[in-house]
This record gives sequence, C-alpha cells and structure tokens, in this order.
Amino acid sequence: MGVDRRTFLKGAAAGAVAGTAAGLLPVTAAPVQAARDYEVPGSLPVDRVVRTTCSPNCTGSCGQLAFVRDGVVVKVQQAADYPDAAYNPRGCMKGLSYVNQIYGADRILKPLIRTGERGSGEFREATWDEVLDKVAGSLTDIGTKYGWDSIHVFGQVPGSGYVQKGANYRACALLGMTHGTSFDFNGDLPMGMPITFGVQNAEHEAKDWANSRFLLLLVGSNPVETRIPDVHFIFDAVEQGAKLVVIDPSFSPTAAKADAHLRIRPGTDAALALAMCRQVLEDGAADEAFMATYTDAALLVRADTGVRLREADLVTGGDEAKFACWDTATGKPAIVGTERLGFAEGVRPAMAGTWSVTLADGSVIGATPGYALVRTELDRWTPDAAAEVTGLDPELIVRVARAFASAKPAAILMGGGSNHWYHGDLTGRAFALLAALTGNIGVSGGGFSVYVGQYKVRVDTSPWWSPGGTKAHVVPSIYFVRGRTETMHPDVPYPEQGWHALVCTFANMFVQAMDVNRLHETLAGLDLIVVVDHQMTETVKWADVVLPATTWYEKTDLTATPLHPFLQLQQAAIDPVGESRSELSMWREIVRRIDPAKAAEFFEMDEEEAIEAILAAGDVPGGPTEGITLEMLQAGPVRLNVRDPDVPFATQIETLVPFPPRSLPAPLAATAAFIPTARIEFYKEEARFRDLGETVPTYKPPFDDTVHDPKAWPLTLLTPHSKWRIHSSYANNEWLAEIHGGRPEVFISAEDAFARNIETGDEIRVFNTRGEVVAWAHVTPAEQQGSVTLYEGWWPRQFKSGKGVNELTSSAVNPIHEVHFVGNMWSPSTGWKDCRCEIEKAGQA
Amino acid sequence: MSAANPVVPSVPAIPAAGEATKHPSRRGLQVAWIVTLLALMAMGIGAFAYQYANGLVVTGMRNVVMWGQYILFFMFFVGLSAGGLIVASAGRLFGVKAFKPITRLAVLEATVAVILAATFILPDLGRPERVLNIPLYFNITSPMIWDIAIVMVYMAMSASYVWLYARADLARRGSWLALGTGTSERTMAREERAKGAMAWIALPAAILLHSITAWIFGLQISRGFWYSSIMAPMFIASALVSGLGLVILLALLLRRLGRLSFRDDLVALLGGLLGMFVVVEAFLILAEYLTALYPGAPEGAAAARMLSGPYLPLFLFEVVVGLGVPFLILAIRPLRRRPAWVALASAIGIVGIFVHRLNLVQNGLSFPNIELPPGLPVGVPQDGSSFAESYFYVPTAIEWMVVIGIIAGGALLFTAAVAYLPMQEPEAH
Amino acid sequence: MTEPKVRPVDALSPASRAWGEIGPRSDQPRWGMVVDQERCIGCWSCAVICKSENDVPLGMWWNRILTEGDALDQPMVSEGGGLEMHWLPLACQHCENAPCVKVCPVQATYHRSDGIVMQDSDRCIGCRYCMIACPYGVRNFNWGAPVRPTPHETGMVTARPLGTVEKCTMCVQRLADDQIPSCVWSCPTGARIFGDHNDEDGRMATLIREREGTMLLEAAGTRPAVRYLPPRRRSPL
Ligand SMILES: Nc1nc2c(c(=O)[nH]1)N[C@H]1C(S)=C(S)[C@@H](COP(=O)(O)OP(=O)(O)OC[C@H]3O[C@@H](n4cnc5c(=O)[nH]c(N)nc54)[C@H](O)[C@@H]3O)O[C@H]1N2
Ligand SMILES: Nc1nc2c(c(=O)[nH]1)N[C@H]1C(S)=C(S)[C@@H](COP(=O)(O)OP(=O)(O)OC[C@H]3O[C@@H](n4cnc5c(=O)[nH]c(N)nc54)[C@H](O)[C@@H]3O)O[C@H]1N2
Ligand code: SF4
Ligand code: SF4
Ligand code: SF4
Ligand code: SF4
Ligand code: SF4
Ligand SMILES: [Mo]
Repeated sequence: MGVDRRTFLKGAAAGAVAGTAAGLLPVTAAPVQAARDYEVPGSLPVDRVVRTTCSPNCTGSCGQLAFVRDGVVVKVQQAADYPDAAYNPRGCMKGLSYVNQIYGADRILKPLIRTGERGSGEFREATWDEVLDKVAGSLTDIGTKYGWDSIHVFGQVPGSGYVQKGANYRACALLGMTHGTSFDFNGDLPMGMPITFGVQNAEHEAKDWANSRFLLLLVGSNPVETRIPDVHFIFDAVEQGAKLVVIDPSFSPTAAKADAHLRIRPGTDAALALAMCRQVLEDGAADEAFMATYTDAALLVRADTGVRLREADLVTGGDEAKFACWDTATGKPAIVGTERLGFAEGVRPAMAGTWSVTLADGSVIGATPGYALVRTELDRWTPDAAAEVTGLDPELIVRVARAFASAKPAAILMGGGSNHWYHGDLTGRAFALLAALTGNIGVSGGGFSVYVGQYKVRVDTSPWWSPGGTKAHVVPSIYFVRGRTETMHPDVPYPEQGWHALVCTFANMFVQAMDVNRLHETLAGLDLIVVVDHQMTETVKWADVVLPATTWYEKTDLTATPLHPFLQLQQAAIDPVGESRSELSMWREIVRRIDPAKAAEFFEMDEEEAIEAILAAGDVPGGPTEGITLEMLQAGPVRLNVRDPDVPFATQIETLVPFPPRSLPAPLAATAAFIPTARIEFYKEEARFRDLGETVPTYKPPFDDTVHDPKAWPLTLLTPHSKWRIHSSYANNEWLAEIHGGRPEVFISAEDAFARNIETGDEIRVFNTRGEVVAWAHVTPAEQQGSVTLYEGWWPRQFKSGKGVNELTSSAVNPIHEVHFVGNMWSPSTGWKDCRCEIEKAGQA
Repeated sequence: MSAANPVVPSVPAIPAAGEATKHPSRRGLQVAWIVTLLALMAMGIGAFAYQYANGLVVTGMRNVVMWGQYILFFMFFVGLSAGGLIVASAGRLFGVKAFKPITRLAVLEATVAVILAATFILPDLGRPERVLNIPLYFNITSPMIWDIAIVMVYMAMSASYVWLYARADLARRGSWLALGTGTSERTMAREERAKGAMAWIALPAAILLHSITAWIFGLQISRGFWYSSIMAPMFIASALVSGLGLVILLALLLRRLGRLSFRDDLVALLGGLLGMFVVVEAFLILAEYLTALYPGAPEGAAAARMLSGPYLPLFLFEVVVGLGVPFLILAIRPLRRRPAWVALASAIGIVGIFVHRLNLVQNGLSFPNIELPPGLPVGVPQDGSSFAESYFYVPTAIEWMVVIGIIAGGALLFTAAVAYLPMQEPEAH
Repeated sequence: MTEPKVRPVDALSPASRAWGEIGPRSDQPRWGMVVDQERCIGCWSCAVICKSENDVPLGMWWNRILTEGDALDQPMVSEGGGLEMHWLPLACQHCENAPCVKVCPVQATYHRSDGIVMQDSDRCIGCRYCMIACPYGVRNFNWGAPVRPTPHETGMVTARPLGTVEKCTMCVQRLADDQIPSCVWSCPTGARIFGDHNDEDGRMATLIREREGTMLLEAAGTRPAVRYLPPRRRSPL
C-alpha cells in the first residue's frame, strides 16, 4: 500500500506533543481572579424573635429563639442567653428542626372524633364545643358509674411544664380522677437512690462534670447522644486531664470518646461495681471515716433477726428510732441518734466484728456493724468472679478500680442503660457504695449521679397542683398497663372498680409503654380514650376523642430540668396553629362542663397567674424561687436558689445534718421513711429485703432470664435512646429522616448475624413470648455477641410490621420497689433493657 | 445514523450534483427520510422544552454524577469531528493522494459533527437562556472557556474548509455561494495553495480541539480517574478511531448512494489505518490502567472499580468488543479488503469509543472524592436518606429524546449538504 | 400579619446578641473556621441550622457530617484491632486556591476580598463544572423546584433559583451584622470556632497553631480557610 506508516505516526506523535505542551500553560496557584465585593443582601427581616424553651421529654430544657416572619416561625435557634456562659448555647439538631413539627404533615389541626374501629385512625373533624361536651359527658358517666378514680390521667414528666402538665394534676385533684406516674413508669426512677439516700434522685448539675479532675465513670449512659447540650462538660474535664471510662455493651458514640471502653455483658454492672469496691478495700484505699460518719456502716445489726439494734432493744422505754454502734472506747454499745450525723463525743465505733450485746430483757445476742455485712458480700467479688459474670478482663477491672480510687474527685455518671433493669436498684446501690467508699459523695466533681428522665420538680407547685390543698391521688401507671400485683403496697390508691377511662396527654403511651400487648388488654376494657397531642401518633390513632394541643411555640409554661438549675418560661411566639389549644384551657372547659362551681373557684386562673402563685410559694428564705419574679423570667433564664455548683448532699457532708434532703413535691417525712437511720443506708433491714437476700448491695442475674431461658432466647434486646429522636418525638421530622434514613435498624454483631445468616439490609423478625417486630438488620462491630440494639422510639408505621419495639419489653414489677410507696419516688421502676429475644430473617419460620 | 438509511442499489456513473434528487424511484424514500428526521427533531425540541420547564431533575443526573448524556455526546461528537478532520488534513499534508476522494466528505463530516457537539452544551445547562453570560463574563482560567473558544475557531475553520473544496464547483454552477470567485488558472492555483495552508491549520486545530476537550476533565485534581496527562493523547486516539470510523461508514454509504466513487483498496487502506488507531487507543488504555492499578494505592480505586460490579460489563465491552473485535477484523488482510467487514469494524469501533467515554464519565463521577458515609446529598428529595455513597447514572427517556433530536438535526444538515454540494474531488490536478 | 419588620439581629436580647458577636479581628480579615474533631459528636446541629438559616430545600445539604467509620455513626476496626470512630463536619472549605473559581466559565463563583468563596446565582448558567472541580463535594445543584417539609419558605435568606448551584456562603448575611455563622452559633459542644486567619493571636489562629490544625486534602493544594483539629490521643489507664 502506498502509504508510509511511520510518517503518520510521526505526525500523530507530533500532534500529541504539541497538545501536552499546551497543557503546561501556566494556570496559577495563586487566587485565580481579582476578588470582588458585591453587596450581598442581609438577613431577611422578621416580625419578632421570641424566647421560649424546648421541652419535650428530654432533659435538655434548652432556651430557643423563634424567629417569626409574617406570623410563622421561620427559624428556631438556641437563645444562648444563660447568665452562666458555660451553659451556652444549649440545644441540639432536634430542637433546631422544630419548625417541621409545628408545620409538618402530622400536625393535628382540629379536634377529632373517632369514626372507624379503635386504632383504625379514622376520624371526623369536630368543633371544640362538640368534643368538650362529649369528653365532659363521658367522664361524668364513667365517674358516677365506676367512681372517678377509675379514670386514669397519664401525663409524662411534669418537670418539663409545671403549669400545663400541672393542669392535669389540678383537674384530677378537683374531680377525683387518678393521676398516673412517669418517672417510675419510664424506668428512670433509680430505686437505688431512695433505698440508699432516701431521695427520689439527686444528681450533680451538668456543669460540675467539668470539675471532675481525674476520672469520669460512665455506666450505661450515652451522653454523646442523650445529653447533647451538656456532653461538652465531659470534654472540658478531659481537656483538664480527666480520664474517661465508658461501661457499655455497645461501642456507643460516647465510647468513641473514651480512654477506656469496658464492653460489659448487659445487666451485670453490679458485679463490676462490687468487684471494684472489693478492690478498693483490698488496696486499703477505702475512706472508713467517711463510711462511719455519713453511712450506716457502724450501726449494729442483730445477728438473730437481721434488723438493726435499736435503743428500745437495749433499754426499756428506749427509742425505736435510735440506733446503736459498738463503741471500742468503752467496749459497750453506744446509742446513735438521727438528729445529727457522726457520733457522740468520744465514741469510737467498731467497723467490724460481731459483738455480744445484752438486751433490756437480759438476753444476749450477737450484733455486727452493717459495714462488716457489706464486706462479707464483697469478699465474693474477686476480679475473677466479676470477670466470670461481666465478661470483662479481670486485669482491667483491677486497673479501673485502682485508677478510680486514686483519683479525686472522681464522678460516677449512671444512665438508663444500667438503670432500666429489674435489678437496676442493686446496680445503683453497688455504685453508690463505690462512691461512698472513696469519699466522693457530696463533693464537687465527684458524686454518684443517675442521669435519667426529665422528672425533677424544682419548685413548690402545691398552689397550682393541689387546689385548696387537695392532692390528686396517684397510682403508678405500670398498674394501669398490667393491672395490680399481689405485692402492691397497700397505700397505693388502686381504683376499686378497676380502670374505665384513659386521658393520655404529653405522652405517646401506646408506643413508649412497656409490654404494649398487655396494655392493649387494658385498653380493650376502657369506655373512653382521650388523647391530647399535636402530632398524629400511634396513641392518637387509638383515641376515641383527639384534642389538638399547641406546641411550646404557641403557649406559656414554666419549666426546669435536672441537668441545669435554670428556671425558664415557654412563651408563645405565634398564634395556635389550626384550632389547637393549651391544655390548661382544655381542662378549664372540661371542668366547667362537669362542675361549674369548682371551675369558677379553681380554674379561672390563667398561665401567668399560675406561674406567679408557684413562684410566690417558693419565695421564702432558702426557698427554691427566693427572689424570682415573672418579669425576671420573661427577660430570660434565672438560676434557681441552689448552690453553685449544685452538688447533692453537700450540706449533709459539710454540716452533718441528717439525710435525706427533701424531694419536691413530696413532704420530707414521706421520703425520710425510706432511711430510718437518717444516714446513707447500705444495709436494708425491711423484711422483704431480708427475704429476697438484698439487705446489702449484691448482684442478681437479669430477671427476664427467668421468663426467657437464655438457651432458647440467646439475645438481649437493648433499646436505648436515639440521638435522632426524643423517644418517639421527632421520629417524623423530615430533615432528620434525610440523615438517618427513617427506618428502624437492628444493630447486631457479625457473630450473631452470621449464625443466623443475616446481612445488613435484611428484613429480620425480632421476637419473644410477648411480641415481635420486623425491622432491618445492620451488622456492625459496635455490637457484641449476645446482645442487639434497637433504639426505642420508632413509630410503628416505620416498622415493616408490628406495634413497635415495646411489644417485646416486660412489665414485671420488682417487689422491692413495693416495700414503700411514694409515687415516682419509691415505686415500681420499669426494666426496659431487661428483655430477651431471638432474631431470624423475616419470612422464615 | 447509517443504520437508519434505506439500502438503495448503487449506480456506477457519477451523476452531476443534485441529479440524484431527481431520480423518481428514490424520491419517496428521501421524503420519508427527511420527514423522519424532522419528526425526531420535533420530539427532541419538545423534550428539551419539558426539561427547561421542570429543571434537570427530569434527567438521571444528580449531585453525585452531575454530568451525563449531554456532556458525553458533546465530547463524542468533538471526537468524531476532530478525527475526521485529522485524517483529511493529514492525508493532504503528507501527500497521501489516495485519500483525495474522501477529503471533502471528511471535511463536511467534521463540520457537521462540531456543530452538533456545540449544540449538546445547551441542554446540559441549568440556565440555557443565560448562555450569553459566556461571552459576557468568560473566565480565562476555565478549560471550558478554552474549549468553547477552540470549538468556535474550529467551526469557522472547518466551514471555510468545506467552502474551499466546494468553491470551484459552486463557481462553475455560478452559485452566489462561490462569493464571486472564479475558476481561472490563477484562482485554482491559489485554491490549491489555500487548501494546503488550510491543512496546516486544520491538523493542529483538530488535535488542539480534542486535547482541550480532554483537559476539561484531565485537569481536575478532584477526579482521580481523570487527573492524568494521558487524557489528551487518549482522547485523540479515540477521536481518530471514531472519526475515521464514521468517515469510512459515510464514504461507503455515499458510494452506495452514488454520490461518491473510489476503489475498494482505499477502503482497505483506511481500514488498516483504523486498525492502527485501535491499537494506539488500546495501548494508551493499557498504559493508563497499569499505572493506576500497579501501586495498589487508593488513587487506583476508581480504575479498580471498572473491573467489578455493574462497571465490569461496560469495561469489557469497551475493551473486548470495542477494540478487540475491530482489531481482529482489520488485522486479517482478506477481511480488510472487504468493504462490508471494514464497515462493520468501523461501526463497532464507534460504539466502542462511545462506551469508552461513557465509562469515563460514569466511573469518573460515580464515587465522591471523599468516600466517607453517608456520602453526598443527591440533591432531590427521595425515600430514606438523601445521601448517597455512590450513584450509578442511567439516562432518562427525556435525555435520550433530546440527544436523538439533536442528532437528527445533524443528519438533516448533512443530508442537505450532501444533496447540494458535490462530494467528489475531481481526480485531475 | 403585617407588623413592622426588624433586622433579626436587632430583635435579639442583649445576651443572645452578645453570644453571636464576631469579636476581635485584623484590619484585613480573612475569615475562616476551625472544627475540633475531639469535641465534635456528630450531632448535625450545625448542618440542620445551616439548612434552616439558609432555606436549603429537602435533598440538599450545604453542611454535612461524615463518619470516619463503617457507616453513619458506626465505628470501624482500627489497625490496632480496637474500634474507632470520629466525625468530620464538611461544608465549603472556602479554598484560597479554589478549583471551583478556576473552572467557572462565567465567574459566577468568585472570591471576596475577605477570602469567602461566593456564588452569584443570577449569573450562574448551571453548567455544574464547579461541582466537578470541587474536591470536597460540597456544592448542590437546584435540579428541580425546591421541596420543603413546611408549607412556607423558612430561613433568613431567599432561596436560590432553579438550575443554579449553591453552597455554604459562610453566612455572609450574618457577617454583615457582625454575627458569627449559624453553624458556629449552634454547635452545642463548641467544636466550631470562627475567626480571622490574619489575626495571628486570635482564638482560631492560636488553636490552629497549638493543636496543629490540618487542612482537608492538603495535597490538592486548595489551601482551605476551614481547618481541623485532630482528635486527641487516648491516654491508657
Ligand atoms: N437524644 C435523646 N436524648 C435523650 C432522650 C432521647 O430519647 N433521645 N431521652 C431522655 C430520657 S427521658 C432519658 S431517660 C435519657 C436516657 O438516656 P441514657 O441514660 O443515655 O440511657 P440509654 O440511652 O437508654 O442507654 C445508654 C447506654 O447504655 C447502654 N446499655 C444498655 N444496657 C446496658 C447495661 O446493661 N449496662 C451498661 N453499662 N450499659 C448498657 C446502651 O448501649 C446505651 O449506649 O436520655 C434523655 N435524653
Ligand atoms: N423500649 C424502651 N421503651 C422506653 C424507653 C427505653 O429505654 N426503651 N425509655 C422510656 C423512657 S426513659 C421514657 S422517659 C419514656 C418516654 O415516653 P414518652 O414521654 O411518651 O415519649 P415521647 O415519644 O417523647 O412522647 C411525648 C409525646 O408528647 C407529645 N407532646 C409534645 N409536646 C406536647 C404538648 O405540648 N402537649 C401535649 N399534649 N403533647 C405534647 C409528643 O408529640 C409525643 O407524642 O419512654 C420509655 N420507653
Ligand atoms: S430536644 Fe432536648 S436537647 Fe434538643 S434542643 Fe430540645 S430540649 Fe434541648
Ligand atoms: S454541631 Fe458541632 S458537634 Fe455537632 S456535628 Fe456540628 S460540629 Fe460536630
Ligand atoms: S470547597 Fe469546593 S466549593 Fe468550596 S471553595 Fe473549595 S472548591 Fe470551591
Ligand atoms: S454551575 Fe454556575 S457556578 Fe458552577 S461553574 Fe457553572 S456557572 Fe459557574
Ligand atoms: S457558615 Fe453558614 S452557610 Fe456555611 S455551613 Fe455554616 S451555617 Fe451553613
Ligand atoms: Mo426517661
């Protein structure tokens, strides 16, 4: 052929070279064009900016600003106006996305009356007059037929809204309806606290975490996800050199920040705590002076009866409420009163040994200091024994114990993960013991705090909650869900004729309650279900009558939280959306229709008057709201009259005044009865403690193991709280769903997944004898073999099937929680995490 | 396009310009052909209007793969154009007389192709009505600006090139399009020199055109799969394959239609040439992948991905079918002498190059530069998370309609030109 | 409601307004940000408030939080065999040598003299070349009409037109009122610090110096105005 290839190649090559040469044309690295400074439009103007408080059932209580334009909220952003700058800005992505809750597709705009089957979600819109008449009418019928106490009013955590939620109590008190409980119902009530300290609960304010100089021990607490506004205080401490140790079966996002993550077997924290205590003793690091002065350690316990030796035993006509220790100085028992901590002049109490004591009747018995009995139990808990139970490395247990003991102040932060167990009280008592043994109680940067629900009543609400001094009677709502127990405390005012109506407000009960299938048996027997909410939740779907509520951007209230001691207002930024109304106005209308006289006398107060009454009641020397006025609150958050930093028991420790401090709203006497010695009690003498072998802190295996044999039900179902929701709130928020994908995932270890040939994305059935859900598997190294995590709060509609995860959880009641009864203070606490299950690919079996 | 052509008996004699259109038996087919093209164009315009009204959400593109079909066809047609012209002008530059018969065709193909390429930019813009911002606010550091510039220059050049070749006959026909030039000895001599000169401009221009198009991609450090100095050479190689391939097809077609005549050994010659281009392309691809994969470093991830998942079949098509088959055909002498086989090889070659460019865009963009969960926001609301760690782009019907519409327009233009302009370069001189 | 409108900043309480003030700066500020990966908890507050502040429709995010792990909020197994997880908040890095600015054919994306890379939505032709060029993938294209969860527009600026590209503007509308960007305001852990690179002993510059702040994809030579403070080394018991 007539063409010379090479010439061609040369040609092409030449071209290519020319090309690449052109490629090297200088494209400078320096800023590529002259900068331009066009006028950019500023922020769009607004009608006003209103300061309110985000108060879902979350412990944040974060001040938020509502930016209002043309009558609608166009942005929500933290107020960042706390006088104590350490608390700014306070808030999380959920609160910031609240516009979607105010105006989202699930917002209930009108009163509704059920037309279809219960649960069908078929309603017709109605006028307020119609629904109010209907509710008032039915309540009256039921009240007269079965007694008003057969009407159960369930409203979550009053601490997050003293006025609107208080209106529930006020109405109950006026009409004689029963008010339910929430702190115990939520499994949050850390029974270890009333048992040990005689208080409902008492935690250091979050700011004080930063003062922990050395070691923070996080037990079943996931602040990175569940204390978003406060977790930075932990980082502050860490920046000062504090070590962070996280005890969690899963590699929680909090564990990601830790110096050490102890991957414990679920439900076995008590064993770890006991082993740590034993190690502290063995190393001679125990603060015995502290134990003797502030706890019941030195008080003698009768060997024959197992109850404490009292003055009445020793001298005829002696005081039943006075106790005794063995005074090594005199070699005789010495009387220990309850008016002051410590001991009488010169008394040198024995902390060990069994002493023979001659009683008033002349008989001689052996008596042992409580401390000795505690130590006998601790002796069992060698590192190896604890390792056996917890699955942890014994070496590590020793190292952590030593680090903890050598670190002062050292803080223990316990959370729902450890508390939400049938035996959560034992875990609490064991860690309280660890804190006491190391003298960390009542000191800033130390302490044993259980951070759980938004429970705390920080002000004197009586003028509002208890009209004319009448209190609503309170029945633990777990008895509503599962009926009463044999062992129920006689003081519980359980309705004679059982339950006949439910008014559910501020709660998504049929999603968040335990043992939901059991709950539905109760519901089936009800003549009336009224639900008050502003989102079309599963609970609302089951209502006979739906009353549309306003959000905290549309109403006035007074709120506070355990995490920080600031009193704050909710203030209306916009008119109520749709026809929604405040709870106070609803109750006023209902009571008016039932008993106009009472309404006239007690329900004409508006929100601001209620707030002023509450403030006034606490405005006494040393009172919680001393010197605080409504005007001050309207200007911004005001710190309650508490010490700074707010450290529980500091007064007892510093001034030797007896335990317990008061737990509002209960009278002091009510909770003081929990600890007759008026000291921190590690020995419990009540019969049931003795019968169940729980006189001293000990470990017991998870309760559900007795219901679901671990061999047949090898997996523990952990249902912690999701970063993306407050329980079920915000589960329908579109911005957040864009991030997390909006479908329930079950996190499972590679081992457990492999054994069931499950892969990420598979539809899986999670089931036990109580119920089942179908969700999607996510295989992750974060989980350990033997437990799976399904964050609580997903809406049933978001599952592939089922009512939601609480079909599986247990409504078992621990009789220890029934030894005394003060609603929300010594009362049955739920064990959400105490739940076994099995998993299989959906569509099998 | 060639496939869509009615097969018609070839006629030995070379009819004068325009005569073909008078042939009665063919008229119906021609009308049908024109009408079809017009219909397709209408469809394309409709689709474009719809897209303009609703936004590019109607395409398969998203934030992750934000360039697709339109850019793909842009570079593909730039390639076709450059390839055609390189062959034509190179032929002349290195005095390959044998190419003479197809020079005009090549030049015309180049011109139509580059016009199409330019057109494909429009539907890709989110704001086509603002296209004038380009001349108004052009940014000299933007390879896209360089490319648009070179495309313009190149378009003008190839148009005048076409004119140069057609001028004489136009003059003879006394058409005003001859712009008053005559056919005197002197003018013809000047024409020859002009053609020569033109070839000198055309070759580098064509090469530059495609290199710059390559640099639109190759200069982006953000795209590991593209950021390589081999981009330009590779683009040129693929341009040569597809461009020459198309010229061969059109040439054979026109010969069929009796608008062009040349001897079969020209086909064989072009076939051989094509085979050589295929080899060069294959070589560059090999070099590219070897360099990317050998270190086993993260930089090679994109290349590695081509060899797995949904990308593998595409890659195999590109390499095995797109390059392997044509090479085999063209390497076998007897086959290379058979126009039908060469045509087949060319057709496959063209498709192969198209897939090559598809892979370039698809795989270059499917995976964000920072591969951490949850990935990139896709840009439009969707069920579940609105983030994607990877995205497999599939063009929508709308995109296809627009593309087909534009190509139909090109076909129409080409048909008209062929019908009006003489295609045959006189053997004389 | 037709009330007289006010500038948001003027409607703030003194305390809130003070929280947002930018504070000391040089006389030739080059604005920037530093993100402390040790403090970052991946809560997305900064991303959500960004969406809210700037009326960013569904499907788009100017700011997002990447998980250095197996999946969203899931750890990865580290070399040592232990588990590890960090978060990497990612928005426009406001590169000094900005690829997007380089490639934009019509100079619709450009530098301000304070170093902020801005977007001119009225000039943008929607070619998306800047998205190709950006190594960080922080640019969003308006593929269709904006979709919001709310029946009305939200946020403090007007939405961008169909067919144009948008991204983090460093909240210039707020800077104009001497207020820090919304994401910085709203970070609950104080992991985001806004400041002026030219103010050597300002808080941001000091942190970058002392904790050896890094640039993302430094090799790309983009010289970002946004820097990162690496997570601390864990101290064993
Ligand atoms: N984002 C968000 N924040 C919230 C809430 C919310 O719903 N969402 N709810 C608020 C309320 S009311 C509450 S009560 C708190 C609860 O919040 P937390 O006190 O943090 O309790 P959980 O989230 O239930 O569990 C915390 C961790 O305990 C681990 N865990 C589970 N079982 C065990 C165990 O047996 N032992 C140990 N050591 N760890 C275990 C879980 O893996 C989880 O990581 O959060 C409050 N804050
Ligand atoms: N499996 C499992 N279950 C659990 C837990 C667990 O760890 N595991 N945790 C338990 C714990 S600790 C808790 S605290 C509970 C929380 O249980 P709930 O408090 O019931 O949980 P939420 O989903 O927050 O329900 C609050 C409801 O109140 C509505 N609401 C919000 N504002 C208002 C208002 O102003 N007025 C009215 N009327 N309604 C309003 C919201 O729309 C929402 O439907 O869940 C418990 N459930
Ligand atoms: S949801 Fe809880 S943490 Fe988040 S802003 Fe509201 S109160 Fe604060
Ligand atoms: S807001 Fe702060 S902590 Fe949360 S993701 Fe953003 S930077 Fe991280
Ligand atoms: S991050 Fe991307 S968009 Fe921002 S300046 Fe750099 S290149 Fe441009
Ligand atoms: S999309 Fe707009 S900003 Fe981006 S490069 Fe094109 S014109 Fe410039
Ligand atoms: S600076 Fe403003 S625009 Fe940029 S990410 Fe933060 S909030 Fe969004
Ligand atoms: Mo709770």
